[in-house]
Amino acid sequence: MTSQLCPGKMAGPAARSWAGGPVNPFKGQREAAIRWTLRICALISVVGLFLMVAFLLRESLPAWREAGFTNLFAADWNPGRGKYGILIFLVGTMAVSAGGLMLGAPLALATAIYLHAYARPAWRRVIGKGLEVLAGIPSIILGWLGFTTLVPLVRSLAGGTGMGILPASMVLAVMILPTVATIARDSLDAVPESFAEASFSMGATRWQTLRRVIIPTAWPGIAVAMILGLGRALGETMAVAMVIGPATAFPRNLTTPTHTLTTKIMLEMGESTGVHRSSLFAMALVLLALSTLLILLVRLLSRKAVQEFPGGVLTC
Amino acid sequence: MADRAAGLFFKAAAAVSLAVLAFIIGIILVKGLGTAVRPSFLFGRPQAMKEGGGIGPMFFSSLYLTLLTTLMVVPLGVGAALYLAEFSRDGRLVRLVRWGTESLSSISSVVFGIFGMIFFVIYMRLGYSLLAGALTLTLMNLPTVMRVTEESIRAIPWSYREASLSLGASRWETARRVVLPAALPGITTGAVLTMGRIMGESAALVYTVGIFVRKPPLSPLQPAAPMAANIWHLYTEGALIPDWMRVASGEAAALLVMVLLLNLGAGALAGAIRKKMGILH
Repeated sequence: MTSQLCPGKMAGPAARSWAGGPVNPFKGQREAAIRWTLRICALISVVGLFLMVAFLLRESLPAWREAGFTNLFAADWNPGRGKYGILIFLVGTMAVSAGGLMLGAPLALATAIYLHAYARPAWRRVIGKGLEVLAGIPSIILGWLGFTTLVPLVRSLAGGTGMGILPASMVLAVMILPTVATIARDSLDAVPESFAEASFSMGATRWQTLRRVIIPTAWPGIAVAMILGLGRALGETMAVAMVIGPATAFPRNLTTPTHTLTTKIMLEMGESTGVHRSSLFAMALVLLALSTLLILLVRLLSRKAVQEFPGGVLTC
Repeated sequence: MADRAAGLFFKAAAAVSLAVLAFIIGIILVKGLGTAVRPSFLFGRPQAMKEGGGIGPMFFSSLYLTLLTTLMVVPLGVGAALYLAEFSRDGRLVRLVRWGTESLSSISSVVFGIFGMIFFVIYMRLGYSLLAGALTLTLMNLPTVMRVTEESIRAIPWSYREASLSLGASRWETARRVVLPAALPGITTGAVLTMGRIMGESAALVYTVGIFVRKPPLSPLQPAAPMAANIWHLYTEGALIPDWMRVASGEAAALLVMVLLLNLGAGALAGAIRKKMGILH
């Protein structure tokens, strides 16, 4: 069974399908009506997505029109004086996501390798369940925990407010850990058993087999795991908002307050009007573009994986 | 030698991962469970300017919102998955739906939140309300419900359907009497896990449902304040309440216990259904 944590994944084509299958599929008009109802259910996600993009575009229109592209992508944010540059927040988002991935991905990958190659079945189950539980912990709770334990710790070690990119990256590392670990484990598991057996029969040790055979074969899936982890980090709001500061300034170091796209939207949506508010919607569009980019990257990797290894190592 | 070292290293990594989880749950419970289990806190009235307030309306809001959203997203998601797995022939339509769900599932919850504010709260004139939040969360959780349901439908052996069809059942009869019951344990697990996600959601609710109320909401058209969103309120404006740290810690513990119960209960519930129905696979 594949992971429920894997957001990009939809079940692939069935081994067998109804297409061209048994005849006499429907009985009369009632069944046709049911089929249409179900089809409408299926289309709701598409309609919802379309509405979302349309309304975000509509709301951000004043920002594009009155502030303009160069103003929006400048470093200067001061709505009172007509400056709507979002660069600070874009940099903040990139920094905390990259930091979260750098801290979280190695631990996640090592855990995945343990689950795949070393764990006894009982431990495999326990840690697998643990990752599922970790994935289910609300982000507001991780934020609260970061605010009450991590921030004082960082403050006592580095001085200042204790808020900034470092604590935010640490919270995000925990958030992406289950995503990356489960998907990476699934792609390691998908490497055919015979690969490992062939390697063992040549006298290779377990570590040699992992390093030279299993991990290289599973790498597209591992890359996908990291990209999806990055996607989760980019969009995270509450957990970051409680430990990032906030302050509308480029961070001078890892422990000075700054802002991200999500936290800026969260904190100012309630009390802004006009072009200021509209520019927050423009930030939401930028976020949307970033996550779409990552999804495209995942697609590209899947295609590459299928070309290189038609048997299919990618579970996600 | 290198092999031994590698084994130890990976084992240590897994231990750290597990320790992180234990640390998170441990600290939250140690700091807040003592407060959370008091009935005067969990069901009590919130206070604004003085100490000793409870989270009764927030607790109720969380349950209400979770129920309302589940009632919308599960039927819709199951219907959509049923269409994809059992009724579709049109490859283009299926590809479109998959593309839509995939894109939806990658969108940040704060973006869902401000869309919900613009579309449901303002454009549809629902105001800050449980319904506006439930609709927003429905859209947000639809991909998960669809994916889990489709996976459990596809796991059903093809022979079940053939047996049903050979007895003269139509496709809908087959879907309703054979496919759906056999997929029920999987669908239930997915639904309960989704309830956990709904209960823990905050970013999508701040601008659709509300973050603080004095009385429990009765109608779905009233504003409410789910626990997760209320913690955000305490964090940003809590200084008004003298003991806001205590309230927030207690609320975080209450929320965590609810989410853990849902997460751990999901598998057990599915097992019970399987046993009762005599499903073997």
